[in-house]
Amino acid sequence: MIDPGPTLTMATTADGYLLVLALVLPVVVAVAAPLVGGRRAADLFLLLIPAGLLVAVGIVVAVVRADAALLYLLGGWAPPLGVALRADGLSAALLLTSALVIGMIGLYARPAFATPTGTKEARAPLAFWTLLPALWGGLNAVFLSNDLFSLYVALELLTFTAIPLVCLDGRAETLGAALRYLLFALVGSALYLLGTALLYGAYGTLDIVLLAGRIGTEPTALIAIALMTVGLLAKTALFPLYLWLPPAHAGAPAAASAVLSGLVVKASLFIVMRLWLDLLPGLATTWGAQLLAALGAAAILFGSVLALRQARLKMLIAYSTVAQIGYLFLMFPLVAAPAMAGLGGADALTGGTLQIVSHALAKAAMFLAAGLMAEALGHDRIAGLGGLGRALPLTLATFALAGLSLMGLPPSGGFLAKWLLLTAAIVAGQWWWALVMLAGGLLTGAYLYRVLVAALAAAPEPAIRYRPIARWRELVPLVLAVCSVLLGLVAFAPVDLVPIGRP
Amino acid sequence: MNEDNAWLLVASLALPLAMLIAGLVPGWRRHLSAWLVVAPLPALAAALLVVEAPPLVLDEAGLKIGLALDQPGALLLGVAALLWSAAGAYAWRYLRGDSSEGRFVVYWLLSLTGCLGVFLAADLVSFYLFFGLVSLAAYGLVVHDGTPRARHAAVVYIALAVFGEACLLLAFVLLAAATPGESLLIRDVVAALPSSPLRDQTLAFLLLGFGLKAGLLPLHLWLPLAHPAAPMPASAVLSGAIIKTGLFGLMIFLPFGAELPGWAWGLTTVGLVTALYGALIGLFQANPKTVLAYSSISQMGVATAILGMGLALGEAAAVLVAAFYAAHHVLVKGALFLAVGVVAATGRRRLWPVLLPTAVLALGLGGLPLTGGFLAKLVAKPWLDEGLVGLVATLSAVATTMLMVHFLRRLLANLAVEPMNRAPLGLILPWAGLAVAALFVPWVLYARVLAAADPTEVLTMAYLLAAAGPVLAGLALGLILVRWGNRLPPIPEGDVGVWGERAVRATFAWGRPLARLDAVLRQWPAAGLALLTLALLLGLSMLGGP
Repeated sequence: MIDPGPTLTMATTADGYLLVLALVLPVVVAVAAPLVGGRRAADLFLLLIPAGLLVAVGIVVAVVRADAALLYLLGGWAPPLGVALRADGLSAALLLTSALVIGMIGLYARPAFATPTGTKEARAPLAFWTLLPALWGGLNAVFLSNDLFSLYVALELLTFTAIPLVCLDGRAETLGAALRYLLFALVGSALYLLGTALLYGAYGTLDIVLLAGRIGTEPTALIAIALMTVGLLAKTALFPLYLWLPPAHAGAPAAASAVLSGLVVKASLFIVMRLWLDLLPGLATTWGAQLLAALGAAAILFGSVLALRQARLKMLIAYSTVAQIGYLFLMFPLVAAPAMAGLGGADALTGGTLQIVSHALAKAAMFLAAGLMAEALGHDRIAGLGGLGRALPLTLATFALAGLSLMGLPPSGGFLAKWLLLTAAIVAGQWWWALVMLAGGLLTGAYLYRVLVAALAAAPEPAIRYRPIARWRELVPLVLAVCSVLLGLVAFAPVDLVPIGRP
Repeated sequence: MNEDNAWLLVASLALPLAMLIAGLVPGWRRHLSAWLVVAPLPALAAALLVVEAPPLVLDEAGLKIGLALDQPGALLLGVAALLWSAAGAYAWRYLRGDSSEGRFVVYWLLSLTGCLGVFLAADLVSFYLFFGLVSLAAYGLVVHDGTPRARHAAVVYIALAVFGEACLLLAFVLLAAATPGESLLIRDVVAALPSSPLRDQTLAFLLLGFGLKAGLLPLHLWLPLAHPAAPMPASAVLSGAIIKTGLFGLMIFLPFGAELPGWAWGLTTVGLVTALYGALIGLFQANPKTVLAYSSISQMGVATAILGMGLALGEAAAVLVAAFYAAHHVLVKGALFLAVGVVAATGRRRLWPVLLPTAVLALGLGGLPLTGGFLAKLVAKPWLDEGLVGLVATLSAVATTMLMVHFLRRLLANLAVEPMNRAPLGLILPWAGLAVAALFVPWVLYARVLAAADPTEVLTMAYLLAAAGPVLAGLALGLILVRWGNRLPPIPEGDVGVWGERAVRATFAWGRPLARLDAVLRQWPAAGLALLTLALLLGLSMLGGP
C-alpha cells in the first residue's frame, strides 16, 4: 500500500534556503582551509561562528513560525528522484545546539591551535581548522538529511573528520585510540549500509517520509532495521559497544574531546531516533525498545560506577559520557506513553531531546574545563587537583555548574529532561526505568563530588606553580555551562519546539 | 494590606541573592559577613505582613510557578528569619580571623535563600529547587572547619541528602503525574494525591525524603554527626531552622482529611519512637553540641507525632499546632547552640548570667512552666493525649528534661580556662536577643495565631501543675544521672549509623567486578561478539511486544 500523499505536498518551503546555508557555509570553510593555510583558516572559522549561529537561530525561528518542518528540494526534484533537506523541530534544536557548542569550542581552541609565530605552517593547526568546519558540516548534514543514503554519507563525513581529531598530537597512544575508533566505526558503517541496501531492495526508496508510508513489520524490514541500529549503536558507544570511547575521548585534545563527547555520538543516536520513531513508530512498543532501554540502563549504572573508579579526570568524564548516553536510550520504550499533564503536556521525546541538548552543553563545558585544569597543572590526576579552587575558581565553577546539569538539579536542562523522562516512565507504568534514572543521578553526584572535593582541597605543596590561564578562556566553557543550567527555563517557552513537523 | 505587600515574598529571596552577587566583587566580599544580620529581614517582614495572601504566580495559564505564604509557613518563616538574623550577627564575630570566611558567607547565603524559599514555594519545582539548594549548600557549612571529623560528617550528610533529593524527585513526579491538568501548585497536587493510583508509593517516597531531612528514625544518622561538626552559628541554623524544612514538607504534602489510617498510625509511631530514642541516646553523649543534636531529633519526633495524629483524626488543624511546636524549637535550639559558644568563652566567675537563662531555655524544651516550651507542650497535649500515645509523649518530656540536665552538665565541662574571662559582646548580644525571643515570642504567637485570646488564661493552677510533673520527674532523674551518669558507656555519634557506614563501604567492593568486566568488554573479541549477539537479539526482540 503506497501512500502518495507526501510526494504531492513536497515542495521547497519559504525559508528552505537556510538549510542549504547551514550545509554549505561550514563546508566552504573546510574546503578553503587547506588553500589559505592554518593561520587564515583559524580567522575564517572565527567568521563562520556568528554566521553559523545566525543560520541556526534562523532555522529555529522559521520552524516555530511556520509550525511545520522546513523543506528544500535540491534542484527542485522531489524524492525519490531528487534529494531533500528537511528540518523539523528536533533537527532545528540539534542544529542550534551544535552551532553553540562548536562555536564556543572554536573560540576556546584558538590559542591551543594557533600556528606558532615564526613558522609558516604547522600540521596540527591546519588539520584542526580544516576538520572542525568539516565536522560541523557533517553534523548539520546528519540533522538535515531526509533519506537513509544521505544519512549514511553524512555519517561517514562525520566519522572521518572525527577520527583524525583524536590523534592530532600524533602520539602512539592516541594513534592507537584513533585506530580502534576507526575500525569499530567502519564495522558500524558496514552494518548500516547493509541494512540500507536491504530496505532499498525491498521497498525501492530510501526517503524516510516515503519509506514510512510503505514499510511494515515484515522480516526484511526488521532485519534491516536491526542491522542498522546495531551499527549505529556501535558508533554511539552504547554499552556494551563502548570499547573505543574512553581512550579516544580521554586521549584527544580538550577541544576535540568536547565536540566528540558532546555532539558526535549524538549524531548516530539521532539516526536511531529517525529509524525507530519516524520510520517505523510501531517499534517503540516492541521488546526491541525495551532491549534498547535495558542497554541504556546498564550503561548508566556501569558507566557511572566505572567513572567513580577512574584516577584521571578526562577518563572520568569519558566514562561519564558512557553513562549519560544510557539516559538517551531510555526514551525509546517511553515515547509510546500517552502525552502527559504537567510541563506543557510534553512527553518522553521532548525529555530525550532535552537530555541530548543539555548533555551536549554540559559535557562540552566539562571537557573544556578539564582541559584548562590540565593545562594549568600539567597533568589531570584527580588526586593531584588540590589548590585549583583558588587557582582557577571560574573553571571549577564551570565544572560544578555542568555537573549540576548532569546530576539533574533544577533549574538545569538536565532536571527538566529527567522530570519529563521520569513522568513518562511513571505514566507508561514502567517505573523500573525511573529507579535506574534516580540511581544514576546518585552515582553521578558521587563521581562529581570526588572531583570537586579533590579540587577544593588545599594544594599538596604551597609553592606549586600553575601555568597562567587567560581569563577569557575560562569564560568560554562557563558560557556553555550556564546555558546548560538555564536550559531548564525552556519549560516556560510558549511552544514546544521538538514535536513540530513530526508525523 | 496583604496584596500590597506581596513584593516582600520576592524581596525575602532577592536580598540574600543580591548579597551573593555583591560577594562576587572581590573588595566587597570581606565586608559581607557584617551584613548577614539583615539578609533575613525582608522574610521576617513578609511573615508579619503577607500571611494568606493569594499566591504570586509567574505563569498563570501554564506551569504556575510561584510563591505563597500560608499561616503555618509564615509562623516558621518568621522565627527562622529571626534565628538566621541572630546567628548571622553571631557569625560575624565568630568568624573573625578565619581565612575562609568568604567561602562560609557564600554557603551561608545560599543555605539561607534555600531555607526561606522552602517556606515560600507555591509549586513543586520551586520547592524542589529551594529544598535542594539548602540541602546542598549546607554541606559547605558542615565541612567548614576542615577537620577530619567535619569532613567525615559532611560526606555522610551529603550522601544521605542527595539520596533524599532523589526520593523527593520521584515523589514529586508521582504527584504531578496523578494531578489532572497542568498545575504544579502544591495545593493542587496534594488535593489529587488521595485518589492517585500510586498513592502509597508517593507517600512512601515523600516520607523518605522529608523524614531524612527532619531526622526521623532510622534516617537520623547524619544529624548527630553534621550538626555538632559545623561552626557554632551554623549548628544553630542547621538544628534550628534547616531541619524544619523537612517537617514543613510533611506539613504541606500530607493529605490531611483523607482516610489514611495505616499511614497515620505509622507516622505517629515513627514520631514517638524518634522522640524517645533521640532523648535516650543523647544521654550517652559527651559533647554538648551532640547532646543538642539528639534533642533536636527527639523534638522533631514529637512534632511528627502531632502530624501523625492529625492525619489519623483527619484534622488539618494539627498542622498549625505542629508548626507552633516547631517554631518554639527553632528559637530555643538556636539560642542553646549559640550559648555553647558563649559559655566556651566565659570563665567560671562570670558564668551565672549566661548559665541561668540557658538553663531556663533548656528546661523549657521539657515544658518548664511559664516558658515558651510550656505553651508548646500545652498546645500539643490535646493531640498527644490518648492512652499509649499520651504515655509515650509524657515519657519523652521526662526524658527531654533529663537530657537537658545532662546538657547543662556537659556545658560546664567546657568553660574557658581563665575564670574572669568574659565572652565578646559580638557573641553575647545575638545570643541574648535570641534567648529573649525564645522566651516571649511563643506567647505572642499563641495569642495572635493559635488561640486568638488572652494568653494569661492558661496560667491556671491545674495547667501549671500538670506541666510541672514531668519536669520535676525529669529533674530528679537528671540529677541522679549527673551523680552516677559517668558510668554510662559512650555511644558513638550517629549511633546505628556506624554500622550503616560499614555496610556502605562493603558495597563499594561491587565496583571491582565491574572493573574486570570493563577490561573484558574493551577487548576486540568480546566487542565483536557483543556486536553480533546484539544484532541477533535486537532482530528477535522486535518481533513481539510486552
